[in-house]
Amino acid sequence: MPDASDRSFLQIEQMAELLTPNKLAVRIVLGLLVLGAVMFLCSLIGTESVSLKAVFAGGAKAPAVNPDYEIFVRVRIPRIVLGAVVGAALASSGVVFQALLRNPLADPYILGISSGAGLGAMIAVISGLSWTLFGRSPIAIFAFIGALGTVWLVWLIGRLTGKFHLTGLLLAGVVVNAFFSAVIMFLTSVAKAEQVYATMFWLMGNMMEEDFVVLWTAGGCIVAGTVGLFYLGPQLNALSFGEEDARSIGVNTGRTRAAAFAIAAFMTAVAVSISGLIGFVGLIVPHGVRLVLGPDHRQLLPLSAIVGAIFLVAADTIARIVVAPAQLPVGVVTAIIGGPFFLLLLVRYSRSVGWLK
Amino acid sequence: MAEMNGIIEVDNLTFGYTPRNTVLRDISFAVMPGEFLAIAGPNGAGKTTLLNLLCRTLTPRSGTIRIDSAAVESYGAEALAEKMAVVRQEFVPIFGFSVIETVMMARTRHFGAMGFESKADREIVNRALDVTDTSRFASRPLASLSAGERQRVFIARALAQDTAILLLDEPTNFLDLKHQVAIFDLLKSAQLNENKTLVAVTHDINLAAQYCDRTLLLGTDGSCRHGQPGEILSAEQIEKVFGVPVFAGQVGRGRFFIPLGKFAKDAEQIANAPDGAPQQ
Repeated sequence: MPDASDRSFLQIEQMAELLTPNKLAVRIVLGLLVLGAVMFLCSLIGTESVSLKAVFAGGAKAPAVNPDYEIFVRVRIPRIVLGAVVGAALASSGVVFQALLRNPLADPYILGISSGAGLGAMIAVISGLSWTLFGRSPIAIFAFIGALGTVWLVWLIGRLTGKFHLTGLLLAGVVVNAFFSAVIMFLTSVAKAEQVYATMFWLMGNMMEEDFVVLWTAGGCIVAGTVGLFYLGPQLNALSFGEEDARSIGVNTGRTRAAAFAIAAFMTAVAVSISGLIGFVGLIVPHGVRLVLGPDHRQLLPLSAIVGAIFLVAADTIARIVVAPAQLPVGVVTAIIGGPFFLLLLVRYSRSVGWLK
Repeated sequence: MAEMNGIIEVDNLTFGYTPRNTVLRDISFAVMPGEFLAIAGPNGAGKTTLLNLLCRTLTPRSGTIRIDSAAVESYGAEALAEKMAVVRQEFVPIFGFSVIETVMMARTRHFGAMGFESKADREIVNRALDVTDTSRFASRPLASLSAGERQRVFIARALAQDTAILLLDEPTNFLDLKHQVAIFDLLKSAQLNENKTLVAVTHDINLAAQYCDRTLLLGTDGSCRHGQPGEILSAEQIEKVFGVPVFAGQVGRGRFFIPLGKFAKDAEQIANAPDGAPQQ
């Protein structure tokens, strides 16, 4: 029976090639454990040394102010959670934009979200608004509206160029980006110096300590979005072969594209409105995960979210401490660390994967 | 036409990409279940356009297409994918999906709630890989395959879709002789063993003549002839449609055609040979 045993061996080997729910679950759990460990470690690192013992000994009930508790719970933890939320949002929406646009150079900002958010922030600063909504400054709210409005505009223009013309959508994004950047530059040149500074500081991407309500809301949105995208995974896989091809294997491409696009744009807008523009995470994390684990979106989406969270938490910790007591914009760190690391992955894996050809 | 119960029925189909140019004019034909139809013709005759109309990527200007007795527009994306699988012209996706991942995508609409395949899906995929002789490199990324291997993978994916109809757009493009024959052998075996209905666009009239039951010969002038290869494919007809003189020979039941360029060796001699086809 050499034939039969051959056959079963072959089947076992083939089975090993495919992603199974168990394999995926193990990887997600491992990823979450690493994320938890990194968040915990990073919460201990900082310009002020914090003793956990003192944190738990005091608590908020202590009559006197407990500095360890204040720093740990009110400063460090919110900031680390913020990093995780933003990193996850940018990485998973980066995956989606790369898949939908079938373009490895795509990132969450490619369709004008960045300039739209920047313009919104600029308008908020220049008009000197000082009210708050749900604890958010007008800058964040205007940035959120600007981001979503721009991406909606780009989507509409893209549709005008033809339903399936990705090039049209991309070009619309590039042109709207350029146009809004020009408007931002115009406003910059007529604005007062301190207004310009406030906008620039915001644009560079910064992790201000956020209050818990905002964090939990944003975090909830991002987790829900990532789960939603996970369910679109098989459809996104099919879409990687092109719209027509995906349709001929029975994928409702219009619905899939609209849903994935809306979720990813929303997640990016949330991230941008709480942390400004942080580059590189949405580009390199999806690529890194794809290079190591393969292109299957069912795996790529959840794991990119986790790795993005780990990456941004670590990068922000470095940004906090490297020029202490001053702080670097986290975008500087993501680019300086992410760039070389990504090149390393690229050289190491691209030969065996071969998707760059 | 007498065949009113074809699995694909096309009636008075007209299509143009712009209102002023008409690629396909008033085309009618039917494909019977289990039949192998070749859509042949020169570049620009609208072969791929016709295929795209059949799988509803394009919408006709007028006329009707019926798949399994229902208008093609009445199908949703999923319902149409139950009826027909499409193998498009060869291309490489941007991300490095492996062979088995690619073939498994044919089962996407059958995946469970969590987005994973069932055991039955896996068996169907394994069989498709076996039939197309692609299981040897099931784990390799598509980009690392040769054009012929990759074409077989896409045929495997179409088979794994488990449909009655297979549409193929120039399945032998860029392939050498051996692989051209291998692809048509594979298609023919799918037709004979699994009773698939095949519609293949090709400009290789020799393969069409050898393998297909019927031929639809489209000309750039909007002409269209439908029938058995023996009736449709003749030296005069091909010279008229393709615009190049051909030598027609015969081996057994199969006819073959050799194009004769102006400066081809022995072109004049062959063209002037009495009656082209050898006398039996």
